[in-house]
Amino acid sequence: MRRALLIAGLVALAVPATASAHATLRSTTPHFGTELQSSPRTIRLHFDQQVRLLPGAVVVLNGVGRNFAGPSRVEGTDVVAVVRPLKLGAYTVRWHAISADSHVVSGVWTFGVRVPAPSVNDAYGAGGPTVQEHIVRWLWFLGLAVAIGTLGFRLICLRGVEVPQRLDRRLAVAAGIGVVAALEAGIAGFSLRAEDALQLPFGRYLYGDLSPMAATRFGQAFVIMTLGYALVLALIFLAWLLDRTVFLVPAFVLALALVSGFSLSGHDAVDAGSSSLSELADWVHIGAASLWIGGLVALVALTWYGAPELRGVAFRRFSELATVCIFLVLGAGIYLSVVRLPHLHDLWTTGYGRVLIVKVGLVCVALAWGAFHKFVIAPALARGASSGFLARVGRSLAGEALVGVAVLLVAAVLVDSRPPAQPAPPPAAAARP
Amino acid sequence: MQPRAEMVHWLFATGLLLLGLCLLSEVVVGPEVWRRRRWRTYLWPGLAFAMGVLMWPVMTFFTNSAIHMYAHGSWAEVLMLAGGAELGLVHGRLKSRWWRLTMPLAFVVTGTAFIVHEQNAWFFARSAFLHHLLGWTFLIAAVIPLALAFRPRSATAQTAFALVFVVLAVMLYSDRDTAPVFGHLSPLAGPQHR
Repeated sequence: MRRALLIAGLVALAVPATASAHATLRSTTPHFGTELQSSPRTIRLHFDQQVRLLPGAVVVLNGVGRNFAGPSRVEGTDVVAVVRPLKLGAYTVRWHAISADSHVVSGVWTFGVRVPAPSVNDAYGAGGPTVQEHIVRWLWFLGLAVAIGTLGFRLICLRGVEVPQRLDRRLAVAAGIGVVAALEAGIAGFSLRAEDALQLPFGRYLYGDLSPMAATRFGQAFVIMTLGYALVLALIFLAWLLDRTVFLVPAFVLALALVSGFSLSGHDAVDAGSSSLSELADWVHIGAASLWIGGLVALVALTWYGAPELRGVAFRRFSELATVCIFLVLGAGIYLSVVRLPHLHDLWTTGYGRVLIVKVGLVCVALAWGAFHKFVIAPALARGASSGFLARVGRSLAGEALVGVAVLLVAAVLVDSRPPAQPAPPPAAAARP
Repeated sequence: MQPRAEMVHWLFATGLLLLGLCLLSEVVVGPEVWRRRRWRTYLWPGLAFAMGVLMWPVMTFFTNSAIHMYAHGSWAEVLMLAGGAELGLVHGRLKSRWWRLTMPLAFVVTGTAFIVHEQNAWFFARSAFLHHLLGWTFLIAAVIPLALAFRPRSATAQTAFALVFVVLAVMLYSDRDTAPVFGHLSPLAGPQHR
């Protein structure tokens, strides 16, 4: 063994050393997402090593795809492209180069000339959200709902109740699965956005530079949420391992605090009419919906069949929690609809409005079902019920939970849709003499 | 703001070294002595789990290529899984010995990620060579935790398991070019950093 170690060490020392395998872009001029006051004469990309050029190594595209970049040249570890004079507008830079290791590395970024630079997600050539992105965002909502709903259900609905250890552990496992699903969906969502912005085949996308993407608001949300939910996962694990519910409290608070990260990196933060109030409303809307739908899943999937002795108290307390959540969901949802839809007819004349109608329809079904449970089933349970009746209640709760899951799917499509444009502000009053 | 890549490599190499030394200590003094203090049994599984948690910032902050992001993400997940499973077994929360299979799984995933995310041939550079070596060491060494899953008292397997981590730590320490002790030899690597 000693000899093997010695040989391995010598081999490692004997082989020549180089820097990281492929070229890494260190900086650019102009920088990612800057607003310039005049047209740049050149575009400069600074790498950590020398690269070779491909035909069309750097292109500078305007909003209709016209290229303003001339031929590129290599200056040391920089690539420089001459740019024809650019008029006012937003521009996309796409670049490709061959590393010293012969691999093609690529990237994209945006800048503006006397206008704010668009997000790299809106770079020229990017196609916008796809069906895959809707599905990934749905899985992300589902993961968050299961995590937050299960944690909330355990801490709020089962507070002060003698909870069987078996149920306690199952709830922690379900919350953990929800967090893992949210983490995986987050990575998939970020990758889909990056792939759309880079517009590269998969083989080259793997070596694509994602730094401009990570610098966007969406990218920052991805970073914060991934780190936050990794911590939530660790806390849930500790609660499961040590049978200490106290670890679930910071996990719940952190999960709830970060719930609207991706949403806040979208329309609520950047579209006209957005404000800190609309951001707060968005957080309340998603947080309350997650607690409601995820809590319902925890009630029916884990408690109703897993701990029949807790059915009565869990049903009654969840009913109270759901009532509060529904008021919050409706209040915040109505406010956001008013903010995002400037005219009533936008509801049926725009794609965003039509998706919203479908969502409102499904929410109405879920509300009616929930009201049936609250006003008909809860009193019947209080009077005592037969086993056949209880089995039917379980199926009915599962039905309501499925409608909730469908609401999340439509919400995923809605979040990816662009709301109609806000009316132009009235012209400024003429300056007084 | 972002730490240099070699510092991150050294941090995780230190983690692997501590992990290997804990395991080696247990082999040297024997499990009866090692487990006389209960907290010692949590040391290496807890360290593995913590390394998994710490790998998430690496995944999110080092996004200069998509494949690096996926490799770091997969290491974060399998480290948390394997460390968590070992913690569960030590604490008595998990009973089935099948949970021990998470460690060979982690080795296989880690090795595959090392090999896949290295785009160059073995002899392109030292970093490429060591990435391949690390990847194949993880893949081949996966048989050791696999053997431990079925023969947990085997002193040979326990020793081999501990030594593998020490060897992997040495490789990871040597992986970056800017470590002054190894010099900076290739003209392809651009200007010297120091």
